Order: sequence, then structure tokens, then C-alpha cells
Amino acid sequence: MSRVKTAVLIVLGLLWLAPVYLLVVNASKSVDGYDAKTVWKPAGFDLFANFGDAWSKAALSDTLVSTTMYSVIAPVLAVLVGAAAGYAIVVLKLKRGFLWFVFIFGGTIFPLQMILMPLFSGYANSGLYDTRIGMIVVYTAISVPFSAFVMRNFFTGIARSVFEAAVVDGGGLFRIFRSIYLPMAGSALAAIFILQATFVWNDLLLGLTLSQSDSVRPIMPALTGLQSTYGGAALPTVLAGGLLVSLPTVILFLAAQRFFSRGLALGQF
Amino acid sequence: MTSTIERSPVKVRARSQRPDRTGARAAPLFGLPAVAVVALLLYLPFLWTTYVSFTSYDGLASPVWSGLANYKAMFSDPDLVGALVNTLLWVVGMVTLPVALGLLVAVLTYGHKWGTWLRLPFLLPYAISGVAVGVIWGFVLQPDGALGQALGFFGLPGAHTGWLQAGPGNTIMMIIAVTWQAAGVNALLFVVGLQSIPSEPLEAARLDGADGFKLFRFHLWPQLRPITTVVVGLSIVGSLKTFDVVWVMTQGGPGTSSETLALSMYKETFVLNDYGQGAAIALFLSLVTFAASILYLRYQLGDAREQG
Repeated sequence: MSRVKTAVLIVLGLLWLAPVYLLVVNASKSVDGYDAKTVWKPAGFDLFANFGDAWSKAALSDTLVSTTMYSVIAPVLAVLVGAAAGYAIVVLKLKRGFLWFVFIFGGTIFPLQMILMPLFSGYANSGLYDTRIGMIVVYTAISVPFSAFVMRNFFTGIARSVFEAAVVDGGGLFRIFRSIYLPMAGSALAAIFILQATFVWNDLLLGLTLSQSDSVRPIMPALTGLQSTYGGAALPTVLAGGLLVSLPTVILFLAAQRFFSRGLALGQF
Repeated sequence: MTSTIERSPVKVRARSQRPDRTGARAAPLFGLPAVAVVALLLYLPFLWTTYVSFTSYDGLASPVWSGLANYKAMFSDPDLVGALVNTLLWVVGMVTLPVALGLLVAVLTYGHKWGTWLRLPFLLPYAISGVAVGVIWGFVLQPDGALGQALGFFGLPGAHTGWLQAGPGNTIMMIIAVTWQAAGVNALLFVVGLQSIPSEPLEAARLDGADGFKLFRFHLWPQLRPITTVVVGLSIVGSLKTFDVVWVMTQGGPGTSSETLALSMYKETFVLNDYGQGAAIALFLSLVTFAASILYLRYQLGDAREQG
């Protein structure tokens, strides 16, 4: 029985790895030597040349800088804003706190499609369209409800006496938040950060809608641009681009698998 | 406040009251940023889209009230009906294929000596973005591409099929691509579920002679219900929003044969400038997502009540 299990798993696993194999092998072929009839056979190793090619053709260097900015700054802001909300509701006992919490968390219900058009018009009218600030603002807003959700749950688990003791010790409310509650929430903050950073990195729809120029556009819309422009002509370049943009999330994922599963079990429904 | 405490230690006696009072007064300051950002960038746009869905609006002139016209168009325009059918296909596909495969992988790897390692190939694609998944599978499925060549090599039929060139085949192939991406994370969630099942009853069942399928059907599967709800809920909501893989692989084409509602909404609004129609699709999609979430939450809360 156990041998059958193992055999099934190995066959399925190989099947699952086949697309990854194809990606790596064909992203490594030279653009000139690429032959559409032999995609399963490895040939040469021009991966880094293709990386460079994708880099310059899709203006990835600008894009990469912006995307990195977005997927670091927005989740950090969201984590802080969400934690402050959780602190206000749970620790400071905000009046009608639960209602406010439902209001904030309700923000996760809308599909992105529901807010795209007004955001596009609003951004166009206010000068936020196609700016890095605009992108950071929208990614932060999207990430806040989930962050507030996790942080509220986390703070609920902290004994009330911690807060009372801190007040007696003479800490201001802001200092108590910054130097007691935030540090205690380290692991929860990290989990939210990783999940939201991955979300921002992988976003296509908001980037496609709210940005245009190479220096503002996030990486996923840039990659789709590369694909449609160069089509079948330079497949190794397109594939190298696909591999390149996947590396950060794959590495992050493998490094923080536990956070991912916990975060998934926690929040997204 | 600090100085008050230092100056008159007598007041410390009232401390059990004080944190709540000072806290409650300052609380709105800490809560404000979250509320403001959510209200301004999520709720306000939501309301505007809702309004626009009842109007005729091209994004330039002012919206003109048109009642339910956009909704009537949605259910009579053959292209949009096609998108509706495709979206349904996505929902059905995503609650069956990745869920079943995830369950299979979880049950097979759970308790296996190399379980963690054998699960890794399935988890890897989850870390890859929808856009990159679209790029890889677009490559695999191109006419006479990797899949065609593999089929030809084994002498199987279909070697020269244009996988993405006609509906509903193209939608089904894209569902398979997303299955490739999503099965691993479902497996992970099912493993979490399996870990929460107490081992004694299982041992007892084994001693009673239950094994393999029987053990699974009568002992594991019923106990996995809560986590199955989570997995199915995630799959439904995710499938309704499907956009990036389809956008990269077919852009909804050829024609509109592989459009989903999420994609139609984007096209109507940003390509055809029919903001009203796009808004109607968005609102319809929201209502369906909302209904699915409520059903799912009721299930979840029902479970919680059973457990006390």
C-alpha cells in the first residue's frame, strides 16, 4: 500500500514539475537557436543573457524598482494602520469597536472589479493616475482590512493587565502601542507583511488600470506587455521574464512556508 | 498624564478605571487611518460603481439614469451570457479539480516518511503569480507546443490540437492551468485539517479492520468537513474573480469565447468605454461573491455552534 502511495505521488509530482522544467529549459535557450519543435530537449545555457534581454526589452529595471517599492512600503503601511486599528478597538476599547471592525473588515468583500472604474476616474481627476504615490495608496488600502482583522484577533489574546501595567508605569498611549504592543505582535506582523507583499507583487489588475508609464507600472503588467509584443518571436525572452518575476515570491514562499499556511488558514475566505 | 501619576501617588488607587477612560478618548485617533482609507478607497468607489451600474455612462459626459437596462443587456447579450457560462464553468472546475487533487495529495503524503518533500512539487506553482502561470501554460499549450509534442511522442491523439483556439476547450485548459497552480495550497490546508483529527479513533478503526478507502470514507472524510468548507469557499470566491491567467493566455478570445465576467467587466469599462455595463457586471459579480461568502460563513458559524 505504502509503495503504491509513493509511486502515485512520484508520478503526479513529476507531472507537476514538467511545466517548471519546460520553463527553465526553454528560458535558457538562446533566442536564435530556439526551435519550437524540440521544446522538451535542453539546449545551451543562455539564461542570464535572456534575463538581460527581458530586462531591457520590458524596461524591467524601472519596473522592478517600483514593484519592490510597492510591495515593501504598502504592506508596511497597511500593517501599521491595521495594527493601530486593532489597538484602538481591542486595547483602547473604541466605542462601538465591533461595528467599526466590521466596517473595516467589510472592505475585503468587494471584488477588485467593483472599485476599478471609480478609482481610475478619481485618480485621473486628482493627478494620482500613473504615479508611484497613487499605486502605494491603493495597495495600502487594499491590504488594510486583512491586516486589521489579524491584528484585532492577535491583540485579543494579550492580557489586559499588560496595558494596565504600562499605563501605571506612565507610558503614553502612543508609546505603549509602539514599544509594547507592536513588538509583541512580531510574528503576526510578519505573516501579514509576507502575504500582502506577495499579493502586491503578483497584482495585475490594479497595475493595468492605474498606471501606464514604464517607471510606474508594476512588474506583472510589464510582463504581459512583453508577451504580447514579442509573441512567439522571442519565447526564451518571455519565459526568462516569467522566471525572473517568479523568483522573489518562490524564494519568499519556500523561506516562509509556515507563515503562508497559517495566514491562509486565518484570513482569506 | 505621566506627571499626574508621579506627583500624587494617591490617585493610583483609581487606576483600574483610568486606562479605559483615557483609552476610549484617544481610541478614535488610532482607528481613524484604517477607517478613512477603507471608506475613501473601497466603500466610496463601491457606491459609485453601484450608482453607475444603473446609468448609461461613457466616462466623459455625465451618467444618465437608465434603470435596469445594463442588467437586461447582461442577460441577453450573447457575449455576456457566454461569459456567464464560462464563469460558471470556472466555479465548477475550481471546486472539483484542485480540491480533489489537493485532497488526494494531502491524504497520500500525510504520515508519509517523506511527506514534506513529496508535497513540495505541488506547492512550488502556488508561489508563482497568475501572470507567470499564464505565460508558462500559454507556452505549453501553443499549437504543436510542449503538450502536443508529448502527446505525439507517446502516439496519443490530439497532438495538433489548438488547445486555446475554441470554446469551451480553451476555458477547460485554463482551468487545468490554474489547477496546477492551486492544488498544492489546497493540499496544505487539508494536511492542516488532517493534523487536527485525533489519532485514537483512527487506531481503533484500523484495529477493527478498516483500511484504505473505507478508512478514508467513513473516518477521515467526515472529520475533514470544516477544512473542506474553507477550501471550497476559497475556491468559489477565487474562481469568480479569475482574471490574470485568462488575460495573459487568451485575453478572453478568440472573439469572446473564453471571457469570464471578471474579464468582460474590464473590457466593457476600459476597452469599450461602456462604464455603465462594466459597473453592472461588477455589481452582479459582487453580489454572487457576497452570497457565496455568506453561505460559507453560515456553514462555518454552524460548525462553531455545534462545537459549543
